[in-house]
Amino acid sequence: MPSWFKKVFSGGDGRAPEPAPAPIPASRPAPAPAPRPAAPKAFDFGDGRPKIRKVISAPIIVPEEERSSYSAEIRIKAQVDKDGRSCRFMLDRPIFEGLSAWFPEKRWTKDASLLAEKLFGVAGVGTVLLHDTTITIARAEGNNRGWKDIATEAGVLIREDLKSGAPAVSDAFRTGIPPEAEIRRRIQTVLDLEINPGIASHSGVVTLERVEGNSVYLTMGGGCQGCAASSITLRQGIHTAFRRAVPEVGAIYDETDHKSGSNPYFKELPAGMMA
Amino acid sequence: MPKLDSFTLEIKTGARPGPEKPIFNINGFPLEFEALEGATAPGETLKAVGNVFSFPHALALIGPAEGSAPWDIESVRATYQCANSEPYTVMMGAVTLDDESNLNVWHEPPPPTFDV
Repeated sequence: MPSWFKKVFSGGDGRAPEPAPAPIPASRPAPAPAPRPAAPKAFDFGDGRPKIRKVISAPIIVPEEERSSYSAEIRIKAQVDKDGRSCRFMLDRPIFEGLSAWFPEKRWTKDASLLAEKLFGVAGVGTVLLHDTTITIARAEGNNRGWKDIATEAGVLIREDLKSGAPAVSDAFRTGIPPEAEIRRRIQTVLDLEINPGIASHSGVVTLERVEGNSVYLTMGGGCQGCAASSITLRQGIHTAFRRAVPEVGAIYDETDHKSGSNPYFKELPAGMMA
Repeated sequence: MPKLDSFTLEIKTGARPGPEKPIFNINGFPLEFEALEGATAPGETLKAVGNVFSFPHALALIGPAEGSAPWDIESVRATYQCANSEPYTVMMGAVTLDDESNLNVWHEPPPPTFDV
């Protein structure tokens, strides 16, 4: 074998290789492995407090002066949601006391609600939800009309309806609403058989908190809590499934506190990552 | 999400007292309040000012130290000063913090309303 070959492929520099280490006698104990460096502690408060705590929420108190109250003049406040998709009208008196009615299209208003039918006549209105003292209008797909304009027109119609004294939702619609217990049972079935198995792959879970009248209140937990896509899951998946199973369901509310829980949004920093 | 410059908590304590010098947690990191005025003894109110100058993905009042008795909070009045906007206030009701819990004290500005 040429010396250059030996030099390159022996891993050495051509000099005599170092002698192999002497075998460890059988009687000698195996050397202890070198201690691994301890992972840096994240979120160490330095006083023995646990590093990860459950975040809880206190109830929000609405100041007395902001609550609605009856007055001779009908007062209506409008509030556009953050993404500009819908506008909620808060009335100082009930429009459909204790119950809710959801109209995804004008044809659904037939024999159900003259007010909702009129609201669909306002340019830009996509869906209408009547619930107790509120009316929520969602923007029609592809319509960019300003909410101020929509709200002004809608406000006139709402005032007219309230002044007329006629019920905003027909008795036929009202009497067709199943009892709360029946709605609860059917919604729970949808959750157990359809929704929760579907979102389990994302470690998510949806819990039915309560049914009030025909309004459904739920919370999203596990992987859904704090997830940026939870509102899309709610709108496109859960709403559709609920309404298919129980067409009489009106409002569906997500009561999840996406900032509370064991560790919403923020995860413990990986070892070695500094604050 | 707005950038939060600072916030003020006015914490009214209920039956059981809280820590003398509470601290808060911003985005997972504990910080001391800049100014503390008052006390967390039963029936008393503590005014605490926290400087953040960041985006509050998570903002929490840290509960009592491990092994300490729970802290009964009767109410919290939180005032937020966000960058380039008017301050706003949120009132929170009664809650009890134990040595395994923190209180979420971040509430986004309410959407504006208008009369129609």
